[in-house]
Amino acid sequence: MGSVYVLTLRQLSGRWRILIMTALAAMPALIAIVMLNSNAAPSVDEFELAILSTMLAGSITPMVVLAIAGSAFANEVEDKTLANLAFAPIPRWQIVVPKLLATITIAAPFILLSAFISSYVGFLADLRAVVAVTVAAVVGVALYASAFVWLGLVTTQAIGIGLLYIVLWEGFFSGFVEGVRLLSIRHYAIALMHGIDPRRFAGTSHLSLPFAIGISALVIGGFLYLSIKRLRKMDIP
Amino acid sequence: MTNPVIRVDGVSRWFGSVVAVSDITFNVHPGITGLLGPNGAGKTTLLRMMTGLADTSTGTVSVFGERVRDNPPLYRRLGVMSEHETVYGFMTGRQFVRMMGKLRGVATLEAAVDRAIDLVDLADAQHRPMETYSRGMRQRMRLAGTLVHDPEILILDEPLNGADPRQRVHFKHLLHKLAADGRTIVLSSHILEEVEELADTVLLIVNGKLAASGGFRAIRAALNQRPYHVRVLCDSPRKLASEVLRLDSVDAVNVDPDGAIVVLSRNVVDLQVELPRIAQAQKIRLKRVEPLDDSLESVFGYLVEG
Amino acid sequence: MTARADGQTVRQSGTVFDIGYQSYTGEREGRDRSRRAVFKDGLRIALGVGRGGRAKVLPWFFIGLLALIGLIMAIVAGAAERLGGPGSAEKLNLPSHSDFYSIASIILFVFAALVGPELLCRDRREGTINLYLVRPLTATDYIFSRWFALLGVMLATAWLPQFILFFGLTAGDPAPAVYFQKHWLDVPRFLVAGLVMALYATNLSLLTASFTTRRAYASVFLVGLFVITSPFTAGMAQEMKGAAGQWMSAFNLTNIPVFVNDLIFGQVSEVTEDAPARTLPAWVLVTWYLVWTAGPGALLWWRYRRLTP
Repeated sequence: MGSVYVLTLRQLSGRWRILIMTALAAMPALIAIVMLNSNAAPSVDEFELAILSTMLAGSITPMVVLAIAGSAFANEVEDKTLANLAFAPIPRWQIVVPKLLATITIAAPFILLSAFISSYVGFLADLRAVVAVTVAAVVGVALYASAFVWLGLVTTQAIGIGLLYIVLWEGFFSGFVEGVRLLSIRHYAIALMHGIDPRRFAGTSHLSLPFAIGISALVIGGFLYLSIKRLRKMDIP
Repeated sequence: MTNPVIRVDGVSRWFGSVVAVSDITFNVHPGITGLLGPNGAGKTTLLRMMTGLADTSTGTVSVFGERVRDNPPLYRRLGVMSEHETVYGFMTGRQFVRMMGKLRGVATLEAAVDRAIDLVDLADAQHRPMETYSRGMRQRMRLAGTLVHDPEILILDEPLNGADPRQRVHFKHLLHKLAADGRTIVLSSHILEEVEELADTVLLIVNGKLAASGGFRAIRAALNQRPYHVRVLCDSPRKLASEVLRLDSVDAVNVDPDGAIVVLSRNVVDLQVELPRIAQAQKIRLKRVEPLDDSLESVFGYLVEG
Repeated sequence: MTARADGQTVRQSGTVFDIGYQSYTGEREGRDRSRRAVFKDGLRIALGVGRGGRAKVLPWFFIGLLALIGLIMAIVAGAAERLGGPGSAEKLNLPSHSDFYSIASIILFVFAALVGPELLCRDRREGTINLYLVRPLTATDYIFSRWFALLGVMLATAWLPQFILFFGLTAGDPAPAVYFQKHWLDVPRFLVAGLVMALYATNLSLLTASFTTRRAYASVFLVGLFVITSPFTAGMAQEMKGAAGQWMSAFNLTNIPVFVNDLIFGQVSEVTEDAPARTLPAWVLVTWYLVWTAGPGALLWWRYRRLTP
């Protein structure tokens, strides 16, 4: 498993990619700093909606994770190097799990820092709120990563479908249609954040914390299972 | 005969309406088996099914009596080299072979890596990134990655692509040695001379079907509808021709513009005995006797072109 | 010559038998033919033609989605006219041609971000660009042909929903001939506005694709840029005020062509209503658009013109 993990780290961390991920992840933090230093500072609801929900959880996190997790298997399929791993006499989960862990390892630091700085600035160093936002952001990374790793295995159009999902489903529909929130990774992450610090986000409507924890585990476990099954059944190029 | 190492039983594979492999059955025993066929015959599809990379539409493939598909532990005993250049350019050769060895659970890893790299004669280049290698070097390092865990079975798809003549000779010696050690080797190639030279058994695939299997001379002998062509150069071609035509085993005799005769015979063994007897009786001096189609190329041509 | 055993030499002769091969004796077309071939190939790649069902799903989904938006707008306006009487759609300020591109811009940009890398990245990654460059085709021919192909697809994608909307609004009006007489100028307006959007999206998409051989990274980077600059510049512009705020707002990449659209239609769209850059002079907005369109286009050409096989 260690070999696959290290291989994936090397495959997905190039200098330019790191720079671009850094630039993208810095946006919420920068905007938070600007917003909080302005004359008309936003309310908790406004800050939560604009920075945390829409930008961090709804745009930055999924895009950063898509670029990395969507390529975890897709690049191997495109380059026809997946057979090198497929011929290892190890269970398929020992290929999928390290791939997923590696994508989380690469993406999480960017999002973690972005979430930490945004919430530290936005909530005036309130530790509980900062922990809530940061933990929710990292869980969000894991959720998106599990979904996009599976997507990269299932189709060569992973990036297109992933972008459509982010822009249309998370960015548009889930903001307007109540029922869609039940099927939105963004809202799971937001619900976790609200649940860990309920007094901070008391005014906002959200899914319940037990539901968010349960559905997060289901999503990660479910996509992991689907990825392992796919790797076992697919024709390796 | 020992139990077959690889059993391919009634295997077919289709992609939509295209049938790539059609109801193929054969067994593979220790030694070198050559898989031959024109482009698009289905060789690679068949190899992919034999290695478990692709599923069969019908039929089964078993290795050491176990189903090969979705059976990862079997890969400890199997070494596979596909036709694609499946390397990670950012890795050095040594890192690549080491990773292959580690993934396959090789115990004394560094020693195994050293041995594998020495086998392919790339010790000098092992610390360079593989993106700086020539095509032949990449091919050889991939072979090292295939051999690092000392597999009992080797399945090689076009292994000599990009190899220079010296490397080809080295590779042939290596394969002979591995086969002599009791390994089972299946290799696919377009280069008839090499398969002819290397393989004990040939599997000829044409249009997705198994057209012939066995030693190529035995295959040739089985092609009853195709008489052998034997060219004889002598000092009295017309006299020899008229005598040879009397033989039951001879279908026809043609005379070349340069005076040689070409004998078409369905029983070369009989011709081998009668020809010198006739020459001695008629006081004809035989200068040269050569079979024109006793080669894998001829067999290939007859079976592929019909 | 061949030496025989009897000591005589024989002059060898050779014969070429006609086994069916014949050299090509037809007309040989030149560089134009090559350019057209690359252009047509680009169209086929962009639309997934000749590449199986799966390759068609995404491009035709986008085209269908945009056409659907146009259709829905036409149906809603038609329903308003029927229920509320003539002129109701205008009174209710329902979205029309001028609003379509601001509504659909992100979808257009995502589409361009996906298709552009398909046209350029694969050829460089797999080395097939060398096959083009050893033909009677220069690197400039290659990139212009690909550029025309993407522009063609983007124009069709941008114009089709507008035509659907126009026909829908005309047919839905109680007096179609009168409606057409009053609104026929919308057609050249939306054609030009569509060209503005298509050029912008095409150039940025292809320029991004020229920097990497991995389609995924090009697509995500470009979409990320569009999606992120919007709230970032809006937030910063609000804080900065005055000219600084206007210029910060002008860096909202999603709005740059929409400002020009507003000028073409002579009315401000909902998307740019609150943007401080809206108040910049018209010539500044047009020049700014040209910087972000011609600039990437020129840079794209410069990057490719140096390519050799």
